[in-house]
Formats: sequence, structure tokens, C-alpha cells
Amino acid sequence: MKKSLLDYILRNRLPLTVFIIISSFTLTYFVSRPERDGVGYTPVQPINYSHKLHAGEMKIDCKYCHTNVDKSRFAGVPAVATCMNCHTVARKDRPEIIKLTQYYRDGIPLPWKRIHKVPDYAYFNHSVHVNKGIDCTACHGEITQMEKVGQMNSFTMGSCLNCHRNAHDKFPELKDQIKKGPEYCSACHR
Amino acid sequence: MSDNREVNSIQNNPDPNYWRSFEELYRNEKTLKARHHEFAEGVTDDFDPNENLSGISRRKFLALLGASAALAGVACSDYRDKGEIVPYNVKPEEIILGRPNFYASTCTACANSCGILIKTREGRPIKVDGNPEHPVNQGKICAKGQANILNLYDPERLQQPLKKSSTGFDNIEWKKADSDIIASLSMAGSKEIAIVTHTITSPTFLKVLEDFKAKFPTTKIYSYELFNSSARNSAWTKCYGSGNFPLIKWNEAKVILALESDFLGVEGNRVENSRMFAEGRDVNSKSFNRLYVIESSMTLTGMNADYRMRLKPEAQFAFVMSLINELNRKGAISASIASNYSLDEFVKKNNLDKERVNHLLNDLIANKGKAIIHAGDLMPENVHIAVNILNELLGNKNLYRTDSASVNLLNLSSLDEVKELTDKMRNNQVAVVIHLDCNPVYHFPNDLNYKELLTKVPTVVTLTERMNETAQFSSYILPLNHNFESWGDSKTRTGVISLQQPVIAPLHNTRQKESILLTWISTSPDTYTETLYHDFLMKNWETNIYPTLKSRIEFKQLWFGALHDGFALTNEAGQNFSSINLTGLNLTETKFNSEAMTLVLRESYQVGDGRFANNGWLQELPHPVSKITWDNYAAISHNTAKALDVQNDDLVEVSVGDRKLTLPVFIQAGNADNTITIELGYGREFSGIVASGVGFNANTLLSSKPEFSQWVYTNATIIKAGGKYPLASTQEHHAFDNPRIQDLHLKRHIIQEGTVALYEKKSDFIQEHRPKELESVYTPFQYNEMKWGMAIDLNKCLGCGDCIVACNVENNVPVVGKDQVLKSREMQWLRIDRYYSGSPDDPRVSMQPMLCQHCDQAPCENVCPVVATTHSPDGLNQMVYNRCVGTRYCSNNCPYKVRRFNFFNFRDHFRDGYQESSILTLMFNPEVTVRSRGVMEKCTFCVQRIEEARSEAARKGIPIKGTDVKTACQEACPTNAIHFGDINGKDSEFYKYRNHELGYYVLEELNVRPNVTYIAKLRNIHTEEL
Repeated sequence: MKKSLLDYILRNRLPLTVFIIISSFTLTYFVSRPERDGVGYTPVQPINYSHKLHAGEMKIDCKYCHTNVDKSRFAGVPAVATCMNCHTVARKDRPEIIKLTQYYRDGIPLPWKRIHKVPDYAYFNHSVHVNKGIDCTACHGEITQMEKVGQMNSFTMGSCLNCHRNAHDKFPELKDQIKKGPEYCSACHR
Repeated sequence: MSDNREVNSIQNNPDPNYWRSFEELYRNEKTLKARHHEFAEGVTDDFDPNENLSGISRRKFLALLGASAALAGVACSDYRDKGEIVPYNVKPEEIILGRPNFYASTCTACANSCGILIKTREGRPIKVDGNPEHPVNQGKICAKGQANILNLYDPERLQQPLKKSSTGFDNIEWKKADSDIIASLSMAGSKEIAIVTHTITSPTFLKVLEDFKAKFPTTKIYSYELFNSSARNSAWTKCYGSGNFPLIKWNEAKVILALESDFLGVEGNRVENSRMFAEGRDVNSKSFNRLYVIESSMTLTGMNADYRMRLKPEAQFAFVMSLINELNRKGAISASIASNYSLDEFVKKNNLDKERVNHLLNDLIANKGKAIIHAGDLMPENVHIAVNILNELLGNKNLYRTDSASVNLLNLSSLDEVKELTDKMRNNQVAVVIHLDCNPVYHFPNDLNYKELLTKVPTVVTLTERMNETAQFSSYILPLNHNFESWGDSKTRTGVISLQQPVIAPLHNTRQKESILLTWISTSPDTYTETLYHDFLMKNWETNIYPTLKSRIEFKQLWFGALHDGFALTNEAGQNFSSINLTGLNLTETKFNSEAMTLVLRESYQVGDGRFANNGWLQELPHPVSKITWDNYAAISHNTAKALDVQNDDLVEVSVGDRKLTLPVFIQAGNADNTITIELGYGREFSGIVASGVGFNANTLLSSKPEFSQWVYTNATIIKAGGKYPLASTQEHHAFDNPRIQDLHLKRHIIQEGTVALYEKKSDFIQEHRPKELESVYTPFQYNEMKWGMAIDLNKCLGCGDCIVACNVENNVPVVGKDQVLKSREMQWLRIDRYYSGSPDDPRVSMQPMLCQHCDQAPCENVCPVVATTHSPDGLNQMVYNRCVGTRYCSNNCPYKVRRFNFFNFRDHFRDGYQESSILTLMFNPEVTVRSRGVMEKCTFCVQRIEEARSEAARKGIPIKGTDVKTACQEACPTNAIHFGDINGKDSEFYKYRNHELGYYVLEELNVRPNVTYIAKLRNIHTEEL
């Protein structure tokens, strides 16, 4: 029997095209995933501030600077004045501190590069998570080891739900304190 | 070698044994030559590669290849930029990012000066509510007060001082303007300096004005209000020697007779009146007052009447006199003042319902001392005097409040005084006119010629927030701070004095009017500082007000305490009333032609006297009775319409004397025949893009020499003008009743009503109509913990619409404009359905707030193809905007028609993107997503407040309670008709309503299991049947 054109397309052309599309999609999907989720994003900040030094070595409590984290939706990036609580005295001669002092003197707010971001239509609440006993590092990674802060975990809806659904597996030490996280829409979207 | 042969073969003869053609054989020159070229000449002519081959040239192809490779490289090689986080340099101590701060202040939207609580987020005011601790308005604030926040962020506010020039207005420095004006003031000499203002409620501002007068002795202050109680005032002066008429204990009255009085709508402190009135209609305590309303036009008060009768306004006096006479005849009172009036004849002549009048008589007699008769502000003095006499004779003075009395800091100027001003202006005796945040060119009757006379005044200064008719004719326009940017105090009652504090620094280069005057008093422009009036206010309190308070705490403490609370209590005596002085009372009737048309000019429910015309939220708020938005109209009865042969939207010409106005007609059920009702406040000019072209300026019909009353004209005429003008009403929209079947709302039990008598006899009569438990094909949703629900008490709902505006502000609901309302595309999440039953002459009116019912088995959820609307475990019907693709199936399947679709990005669409202005974005509630085009939305039960309460509970580590959440509409409802809470919270107030014997669900037979319980309205009439 003579092979028709359709036969040729169905046997060879189509599977080949589909294979190329799927394989290139899969490859791109996995290769570009950290970029899309922002995992690994470590921007250069206007002041070369080290969390490793402050939170790690000097063991300053997170809440000393991120004062709102247990009170509000936002953790809050500290005002320049908070830094100056110490740095009016400490390490005044270092170039980064001189830069900082200049901001403070001029009354200009510091434009920190944003690292972690959820979309505007998602209303994440820091205070609820922190008050339930979930550690900052659960989402933000080992911040005390970071010379420069970068994003360590994905902040997609899938990642949120991953914890919300399996809270007890993720936080076995908090088994008595927390239930499952909410999964209904308006917990985050409204 | 072969090459040689080739060359030879051209030159030599070809091999004669091999030839390809005769031409070759015979050695045709042309052919031989052609053999040496590959292509014949012209073979590529008419060949355009762009036409027959791919459009991309090789060069282009390579360029594209390079570009896409570069793009792919860039896109995949770096992270997306996420912007910046810019914290404070020095964070203000009181601010916690993401959490609101509340400040107590005072609303200056009208002369009632209610206490308000302003919610601010990161320093921006985003919502206004009543101050719950304020003794007068007790946590409630009207629609205008709610919407006032839009005025703060209005992009069309004046931002710079302006000076008139030959071509228009030029910007001018404050200093220059101040020194110019100070020079004009100082050079006034013996000529008058006229200050025109609205009601003065601030004792400290009054002090500023007194100082001003002391500095410039020729100053005269004219205060006016387009709608005022001057007739009541003068009646009280004549009867009791004091114009301070009392407040009324509406809550204690058993019988209320309102004569052309809209005390629930626009008269007096409406918020307080409504609350006290509704206290007297409580299903839990089973106490019900009875409201009789006799009026010419259907008003908000009339809608809520138990018995309503129609009467032309000019007949009210005769009615009261006949009533006195009849009561005297029956021996209920002894008075010999009304001998020539007969109630029987009056009833016959005016076609009143005999039975209802008898009920009224009997009720007045039976409830002596527990009834109150109240005449409206539009009524002339003699009606008020007659009413005062009747109240006194019936012993109803008990219901005058003695604990607190209204305070008049400065009496309003009479029309005669205003006429004196215009005469002086005409005679060039006025050097300077200062308009303090008022608009007399628009408000004063045209026959005063105020606008023309302003040109005769050398210096006209207008202090205003935004451009208006008066500012257009001024030499200087000075921009004012908004209510929320200003300091102030206010005293409208004995016993309490309210404080106003700014919650945001002035957004523009504006100042508050008090400091402008203080600068002028000092005669040096350099005196001005931002704290000028604040210092003055504090000093005035310390020296003048603090001593009168007889407080035991020191001043600073009291001041900051009062600032925190928003008011200070004063120990003042209330009011006592001597007996009425009957001598010298003018009880003669104004003569009128009873056959002629009567024109009634009323205050707009939405935009007041026009002050709020540039406020889109108020313009789009449906009229509580007619549900018309964005317009005023001539309301006439259907009989009058028949006689005139006009229909809705037809243009008519209304004239009084030589004053004429053409406007559309609206046939209002329940209006008296031969009366025309027009609301004022519309037809503004020069006052912004929102207000322009909205409605008709009926102020042109006002006269400075009214025969009957300033707002009622008995000699009007109306003729058909030809042509149509579409009025945008929301009533026929989203209606789930079929207009072809009358009273369907009753037949389908959408509205269920009864009478007090029936309720007393059979308290669960409503439950008879409820369908039995129905089976469902769906598995019922399991509510394991809490579940939210709402209950609306229709006995208390007056239909005012305050809840709608509160919802708009809370939920970032956009204004859509009249053209879109005409297409039923209004976006308000909450509407108040108004149903008429009975005859169009005498309709019974029912109101019903309608919002998402958050059904347990919501029909919208089943049809969404993308699962954008789902059910939450606490009983909410959730709407996820970022998932919605706009199929509108949900809206189609909703039996209550409460879903709203964004047909446009209305913020961009309305008035050329007026709402896209960057300053208006400051007003958004940051807890609610701003929706864009193509997305469905609806009431969320204020889910942002629920989630905030949840996180607050989580922060404290306690479980959330149903009483932790108050929805925006509930907070705003002046009568507390709306209750919200957990249906399982057994000890809550809400629980009582949820399981009340008068409770029912709308369209319950559909078995969608809604969660908004309606408490059936009971009418307090004499029969069991409606």
C-alpha cells in the first residue's frame, strides 16, 4: 500500500514536533525555575549590610530591627534611625557606616533592594506566622549565615500551600501549637 | 586543452554533424552569442522577491536571529527586578506599618458637627466613621460624612492661591495675596467689610471673627444656609421668648406626627434622629411607636410612615388649626383659638382619608404627653406656632429634651439683612467682601443680583476648597485646608464641645480659614506659621473655655484628653420651657390659590445644598426614594402627569413668576397632586469635572421675597416643554421581580411584612410562609467551627443609603458615571431595593438592603469554569479576582443579582481617567484589591476585616469570636439595623436576630440556603391585616 502524506505526518513529523516542544519546554521550565521564582536572587544593596555579622555573630534579635514582625502583616525594614542607635558610636570610621550616617544626616530614606515579594493580590501576614512560633528561617533561610541576603525559597502559591497542607510534617516541633494552615482562597486573596 | 577547444568552437565553425537548431547550423549571430550567457537578458525582470518569496530578507533574518538570541540570553540570565523597599528615615513612633491608627475629630461637612473617627494607614486617612463615644451621633455618620474623604483627595481641589487677571486667574504667592488683602482691609475706611459665611459652630472661630471685627470695625458678618430652621426659630422666639428650639426625645414618643417634616432625611441631626426613632421600633422589646406623616412629596420619612397622607404644603396650617379645633370639641384640650376651622370640612376638601384622620385624633388623645407633632423646616412660621400650641395643649412638652439643647453661636442672617448687604454693594458702600467657604452666587436668589453686584466691590476674596460660582467672580481665591487637615472646635449642643484635629499635613499649598483671618488681623503676612491657629485654639481653650468647664484636672491634661476623645463634656444646665405666651401670636392663614400648582424646593439627599456636587460617590448614591442617580428632576404625581400628558423623562418647563427652568419630569408615587418637587444642589457650574453637567440649577427659582416660605411657592406653573432627558435610575436594575406582575415581591415572599397587632396575637406568623426543609442534590457544606452570617432588621432600616457609601469607601468601589448607570453597570456591592405596593396615590413602601447572601449552596459557585468563586470553611462565598476570567456565568446564575462586573476599568473610563489621578490612589484601602476590567466582584462580608480579626486573635493566641468583626455597612447604619456575627455564637446579639421568629430568607424556596436573615417589617397600624 502506498504511504500517503498524512501517514508520513502522523508517523514522523507530529511525534517529532511534539517531542521537541515538550523537551524544550521541560528543559526551559526546570533550568529557568530559580530565576522565575527568584530563588537565589541576591541584589547589591545600597549599604553592604551583613546579616551574618549582626544576626549571626553578634546575635542581635531579628525583632530589634524588624519590629513589626509580630504585630503586623509587614515585618518592616528598619528606619535609618534604628541603625544609628548603635552606629552613632560603633564603627563610625568604616566607609559603609559613613555612607549610612550621611543618609541619616540628610534625612533621606535608604532605598533597599527588595528581595522577597509576593504579588499584590496575595495578603501574606508575618505576625500570624511568627506568633504561631514559626521561625524566620523557615522561609528566609539561614539568614544568620548570609553575608549578603538572597532569596532561599520559592514564594509561589504552591510553596505556601506546601507548608499549609503539611504543617505537621514541616514543623514537627510545633505539632501541639499549630494546626494546618488555611487553604481557602480569602485567607490570602481579597 | 578543453578551454582551447571551447574558445575555438566559438570562433570556428561548429561540427556540422552536431547541431541543436537551424539557427546554430546556419550560424545565427544572436544565437551564438546567447550560448555564452547563462541567462537571457531580462530574465529576472518583473521578479520581486518580496512578493513571491518570504518577506524577510536575508539581512533582516540575520538581524532577527541575532536579536532573539540576545533577548533570550538577557531574559534567562538575570532575575526580575522587584523594586525597592524604602523605610522611613526616622519612623514615627505611633505608626506600625500595615496597621491602622484612629484619630477622633469633628466633621465639618454640615452644621451638625458630628464626632468622627478617622482611620489612617501610614499617615493617610482611608475611612471615616462616627466616633462611638461622641454623645450626639454615637458612632454613626451620614453618607456625606463618609464620602467626605473623597473631597480630601479630589484632584480638582485648588492647590495655589489665585489672583484674577485680565485673562483668567494667575498663581500668586500667599505672602503677596495676604499683603494685598491686608492693604485693602486697612483702606476700607468707613466702607463696610462684609464676611459671608455658613453657620458658625466653632466658638474659637467666632472669637477670631470678633477679633477681626475689633481690628476692622466696619466689618459685618452675614451667615446664611440655603436650608435652615429660621421659621422654627422665629416661631419659638414668639412662643417661648427664645429661638433655641428643643431637641426631641424621638425614642420615647409613642405617636409621631410629621407635618411636611423630613426629620429622618435631611432636617436636623439626621443621624441622631434616625437612631432615636428606630429605638422606638424594636422587635426585641416589642415596643413600637406609630409614625403619621402628612406631606406633599414622598420623602424618606414618608416611606417609613405607618399612616401617610398627602397634603399640599400650604394646607398644613389649616390642618393643624382644624386638629386643635376638633380636639377642643372632643374635650381633649381646652383652647379657644381655632373656632373657624372644621376638621370634617378640611378632610372633605383635601380628600384625606377619614379613617386615618380619626385614628390620628384618637391616638393623640390617648397618648397625651407621649406624642409629638413636628412641622418641617420648609413650613412657614405660623405652622410652627400652631404646632407649638398643639404640643403644649396636649402636654407633649414632656418629649422636649431637657438634658441637652441646641446652641446657636451666631444667628443666621435673615433675607432682609442679606438685602441690606446687596443694597450697600449697589451704593458702593462695601470695600471688601470675604466669602468664607461658602457659595452665595449659587445659593442666593437670583433677584438679589449678587453676582452682578460683586463687580461693584473693589476687593472680593473667596476662601474655598475648590473652584465654584462665587470664586469665579472674585479678585482673590485662597485655597482652604480640608476638614481632615484642619484644627477646630465646635459647639452645637449644651453639654458637649467637640474638637477637630488634622490627621494629615496639607496635601497642597493651602491654609485653614482661621489662620488666614488671623494673619490679616495681625496686618503682617509674616505672622503666618503652620501652627498659628493651633496655638490660638489652645490659648482660647485655656483662657476662655477651660475655666467654664470647672475641671479639676490641669489644662494640658484636659486638652490632650479632649483631643484623644474628640470632645469635652461641659457641665451645663439643659433647657427648661416656660408656658407658651399666647398673646400676640400671629395665627392668620397665608392666602393662596388652592387650585394652582405648588412648587416645593427640597434639599438633595445626596449632595446637600450643592456642597458635595463634585463627589462622585454621592452623585452615584441612588436617591432613597426614586433611586435616581446623577440628576435632579421635577417630581409630580401620576394624576398631575396625566393631566399634563407627560411621562417619565419628558422635559417640562416650571415657572414661578418670571423665573423659569426646564428639567425632566419623574412621576413619583405618593406625591400630592398639583405639586412639583425639585431638589436643589444640582446644576453646578465651574465646580469640577464630576459636577459639571449634572442636574439642573433650581436655585434660579428661589425668590428673595417669598410669599409663603422660601422653599414653597404656591403660584407655580408647569408646561410640557417637548423633548426627553434620560434619568438614570437604579431601581429597575438587578430587579428580581417582574414588573408585569404587580406585588410579586409579596407573592414570592421577597418582602414579608405584618402588623404589630398580628405579631402580638401570633408571634410566629412569618414562619408559616417559609418552605419546609428541602432536599439538596449537593452534599451540604460542613461548618465545623464558626460560620458568618448577617441579619438585617427591616423594622429599623429606613433606606437612607449610608451603608452604600460606607461600603464604597471600605471596598474601593469605583464611580462609573451616569452613562454606565443607564446601562445598569453601577458597581455598588450593596443596594437598597424599594418596593411599592397598593395604589400609586397612596403606596405602601418597603425597603430591603440587598447584598451577597453568601449562600451555603451558592448557585454562582457551581457554574464558574475557572473556580474563581468558592466556599470558605467559615461560610463565606469567596471571590478570587486574580482567577476570574470574566465569563459572567456566576452573575447570570445568581438569583439575587448582587454580582457586579467590571465592564471597563471604570477608574480609567469615568470622566477621562479622573479616578486614575495619582492623588486619588492615596485613598485606597490597602487591604482590598483594586479590581480592573473583566473581573467579577461582589460583597465579601468585609473579608479583610474578618481576616484582620483572625490574625489579631492568632497574635493573642485566642480563638476568634463572632463579635470581633463589624462590617462597614453595619458600622455605618445609623439605626443599627444590620447585625453580623457567628451563627453559632449563642450569647451574641446577632444570634437573637438570626433565630428570631420574624426572621426569613429571601427566595428561600430555591434552596440555595442564604445567610442573610431579614427580620420582617411590622407596621404599627390598627388592624391585623395590612
